[in-house]
Amino acid sequence: MSVAVPSNKTDKVKLAGKAAGLRAKRRFITISLVPILLLFGVFAFLPIIWSLGLSVYQYDPLGSKALFVGAENYLRMMNDAVFLKSLWVTFRFVAITVLVNIILTLFIASAIQRVRIPWLKNLFRTLFFLPTIAPLAGTAIVWSTMFNYNNGLFNIILTKLHMTPIQWLADPQYALYSVILMTLWADIGYNIVLFIAGLDSIPDMYYEAARLEGAGRWRIFFQITLPLLRRTLLFVSVTTVVSYFQAFPQFQIMTKGEPFNETRVLALHIYDQAFSSSNMGYASAMATVFLMIILLITVLQLRWGRTQWEH
Amino acid sequence: MRIPKFMLMLAVVCMVFVATGCTGSSKSGDDTNANAQGKVKLVLWSHQEDQIVNAYKEIISKYEALHPETTIEYQTFPYDVYNQKLKASFSAATPPDVAEMFGTWVPNYSRNDLLVEIPDSETVKQAYYEAPLGGYLRDGKLYGLPLEYNIENGGMLIHPQMLKEQGYDQPPSTWTELVEYAKKLTVKNGNALQVKGFDFVSSDNITFTFLSLILQQNASFWGENEHVNFSTSEAEKAMSALVSLIADDQVADLTTFGGELDTSDYFFRGNSAMTYRGPWTIAAGLNNYKVNDFEYVPVPSFTDNPPSFAAESGWGLTVAKQSKQQEAALDFIRFFSEKENLESWNTETFTVPAKKEIAEDPEYLKNNPYMKTPLEVLSLGQWIGPVADRDYFFKQVNDHFQLMVTGRLSVKEGLAKIEQAINDNQDQHKR
Repeated sequence: MSVAVPSNKTDKVKLAGKAAGLRAKRRFITISLVPILLLFGVFAFLPIIWSLGLSVYQYDPLGSKALFVGAENYLRMMNDAVFLKSLWVTFRFVAITVLVNIILTLFIASAIQRVRIPWLKNLFRTLFFLPTIAPLAGTAIVWSTMFNYNNGLFNIILTKLHMTPIQWLADPQYALYSVILMTLWADIGYNIVLFIAGLDSIPDMYYEAARLEGAGRWRIFFQITLPLLRRTLLFVSVTTVVSYFQAFPQFQIMTKGEPFNETRVLALHIYDQAFSSSNMGYASAMATVFLMIILLITVLQLRWGRTQWEH
Repeated sequence: MRIPKFMLMLAVVCMVFVATGCTGSSKSGDDTNANAQGKVKLVLWSHQEDQIVNAYKEIISKYEALHPETTIEYQTFPYDVYNQKLKASFSAATPPDVAEMFGTWVPNYSRNDLLVEIPDSETVKQAYYEAPLGGYLRDGKLYGLPLEYNIENGGMLIHPQMLKEQGYDQPPSTWTELVEYAKKLTVKNGNALQVKGFDFVSSDNITFTFLSLILQQNASFWGENEHVNFSTSEAEKAMSALVSLIADDQVADLTTFGGELDTSDYFFRGNSAMTYRGPWTIAAGLNNYKVNDFEYVPVPSFTDNPPSFAAESGWGLTVAKQSKQQEAALDFIRFFSEKENLESWNTETFTVPAKKEIAEDPEYLKNNPYMKTPLEVLSLGQWIGPVADRDYFFKQVNDHFQLMVTGRLSVKEGLAKIEQAINDNQDQHKR
């Protein structure tokens, strides 16, 4: 390896200038990153580390001291029927909602992408995105009134159709599906926009070639669109899974985990244990397990969804 | 170099922001210090309920008029978040000077030395009934003064017209009659209940009724070491009777349980003929629903014994130890608890008096004819006992009750599971 040796004064000056520029650049990068890293560290990493520490203590926020209990909080989870139930409810909620969300949004995005009139395409995109702008808590309140047994919109429709009204949020058979319905309505706009962007980025030449070869619509969708949309699909599925695992406001507002804990997702159970029952240590242990579950699923998704191609 | 300097400034601003956020904020006491003019400012928190808020405001105005040196900042919070809000403020050492608390919450605060002891506890407690005082007592000392006798048992709302239509001129006088009335008063529309004969399916009343039916058999639901004991024949008989009302007699159902409306709302809308609920619901009927076609009558005993019942210590006022104005705060709650003031508060809020002299005052009954039934049974109330986590306790009973009604658990299995869950929780709170 050869090293360039400065031959004259001009080169030395040039090199010194380069080094100074590099230093300034590094300083700029450092200073630019400090605020955000500081905020991230204090408000994201520190609470996680704090929570990890708390998980081995029995701690009541009203009490002055915490009792070290080792792995007891973790062992307690194994026999906590409500924890196990909430874990099951969470997985059910995530599995159903993510699957329906992705199928639905992909279908709608494909339909919108086919619209050739620009203003109409924008209108559809805006219409579907609108519910995403509304705060989830507000949306949950509105949907609660629509699910009301006596005066809710859905039961008014059922009554008009001479059908028996349903306890949308109080019947264990329907409660979770009611919340899923509301969540999908409130959330699909975001993924539709992402899928439209992904579909727009697929070059037309692949479709043209496929059509020349005589491929049908479904074949084009499954053999051209889906494979080339894999990166968008991976991003959408990872963010949607993480977001639905953390679903909380709609459950807190619409059902509070009832009936029979049929809508008690883990985030709600953690909140109740921490702030209603003052079991901060136990809640932290559950939060740690929850974090590990989400982390593991995300890693698996990233591994399985990895792509090597370019177009 | 302009940009790095700007970024440096931004970093400093962010650090200051972070440091400000992470350091303890000023305690409420700092705001409540007596100022240069000798003015005292107290902060009072309560939960939100129209009648209660109005009644508080009246007494606050009266106190401020008599004590011009004191101003009271009254803040209210929805019931759903009030407990959490209180816990957060006390754990962050920023509590209000005077906090309205539900009696069952108080032991958690008094145990952790967060509340001021009421001076001269021995004399003060003589003026109150035992049940509403239980939660406020710790080692014989009082840590707050109850405003009401929280009573969910003993009385029920009835629609006399519905009873008359079925040929009943009088309310039921025995448990057997109650079940018979309920069956006849129930109106079905297919599988759905259009009118419930006897509705007790609320988050409070399932548990309270169950506990009361045990007490009415002269039994206890407490074992040793602050553990509950539901492995008795009396507990099994009590729970079987309640399960049977829904599973066999079908005089009520679970369809509205956990919904947004209270059982009393369904009663005032005409969806139940008899509803087991506390007298505080009368205010909703008279003021919100503008109806007066109902009565509040005694619920017959489950046995030949008197209709004893379990009661929690209800709403009361406490003074935070963190308060810088403890003396002024204590003076305010003493003023609030004077007969004239507390009586007007009880009258306006349709709450049962915790203070004996108010309950025994004929003027009070004259102003509150609906209170006749609760006042007659006050002496039969027993404090519910050392429940460590009220919400958890009631949820265990309610959840398992639903499983028993739907046949997913037998009564014996359900009671064993309730007992185990509650006792584990009691132990968790002992450490």
